[in-house]
Amino acid sequence: MVRLITHNLLACHVKGCNANNFPLEFRNVELEIREAEFNPDFVKGFLPKIEWKALVDTARQLGDTSLPEEQPEMLDDDFLKNLHHVLLEIHVEEGAMVCPNCKHEYPIASGIPNMLLAEHEIA
Amino acid sequence: MAPKKLEPVHIEASEDPASFEARNVHEIYDAIAAHFSSTRYKPWPIIAKFLSDLPTGCVGFDSGTGNGKYLPLPSDRPGAIWTIGMDRSRNLLEIARHAGSAPERPRVYREVIWGNVLDNGWRPGAFDYAISIATIHHLATPERRKLAVQRLIQAVAPVCGRILIYVWAIEQDELSKRKVVDEEEAEKIENGKDVMVPWVLSKNLAPKPVEDTERPEVYNRYYHMFANGELALLAEDAAEGLGLRVGAPTHGQSGQGVEIVQDGWERSNYYVELRRWSI
Ligand SMILES: [Zn+2]
Repeated sequence: MVRLITHNLLACHVKGCNANNFPLEFRNVELEIREAEFNPDFVKGFLPKIEWKALVDTARQLGDTSLPEEQPEMLDDDFLKNLHHVLLEIHVEEGAMVCPNCKHEYPIASGIPNMLLAEHEIA
Repeated sequence: MAPKKLEPVHIEASEDPASFEARNVHEIYDAIAAHFSSTRYKPWPIIAKFLSDLPTGCVGFDSGTGNGKYLPLPSDRPGAIWTIGMDRSRNLLEIARHAGSAPERPRVYREVIWGNVLDNGWRPGAFDYAISIATIHHLATPERRKLAVQRLIQAVAPVCGRILIYVWAIEQDELSKRKVVDEEEAEKIENGKDVMVPWVLSKNLAPKPVEDTERPEVYNRYYHMFANGELALLAEDAAEGLGLRVGAPTHGQSGQGVEIVQDGWERSNYYVELRRWSI
């Protein structure tokens, strides 16, 4: 599973690829929506650690436009529910993640991303 | 039954440690995944406490998650923190991605990543915590073990990022089926000991053989068994190698460092808890 919570933490790690290596771009994705229990305290606690622009842009690429460009100052329930949905309920089951810098492709199969690199690509 | 003394192993200098580990660790976990997982369900108390002490909203990763038994914790506050599991064995990940699912309930989904503990596929400092349980002892050289610890340090936040590491100890307790060395000998070993630990595959859980090849029933996994004090030294060495200070922050002196919060022995394992600081 690559949910956007995980995607927001991953970066390309090919040898020498140290700039503009985040966020990875989804390609040819198959999505699955699965309900997850809403825990507003978790979402609030995680919020300050999110790379906001990366999350909003990626969600939009996957067809979810519920998040505002800027983080709101007031955290109402609707906002937290939308954020919960984007972070935890959209599962990328198949496809790939591509580095915006070096174009390395990390495949996703049966919901599991392959972040392994070949020997010569390792830093 | 008396504990069985383990076979020591010597890794030739000419041997590539990555391919040694591929043969003697990764391939074996892929082969024994289902049976291995069925024997790994009880969380160690210190690990359960470490996870249950984390504030709600924390996100962490489990480097070498195996069957993912720590991903559902803390059991008294499910969903309060979020642990992402990483492992080298794809077959174990298939199990880990549904860790904590109860029979006759909808399956639970965890976040799992197929990756190498020596790689660095995260935004630097992105996590609040990282754990690495019974994993680093599978790395075949001191340099690789140190790098694995450095990857944990780099993955957690410079301010207050927490790390917990467990490895097997030379000193196995009386309940253990294994014996590494005699007690008198254990006291003299400072740098641990490389051994092969047999895994006897239970037949009813073994995957069906594709054809009638001779499928070994005993798999020998490589372990570096840690000596007393070795893990804490490794952690200090790893931190220093990243240019971080070791120890508690000193008042009035700015910088970044790593403090050892606790270290000790728990039922055949050595553990160390680290905390990053930045002032
Ligand atoms: Zn890249």
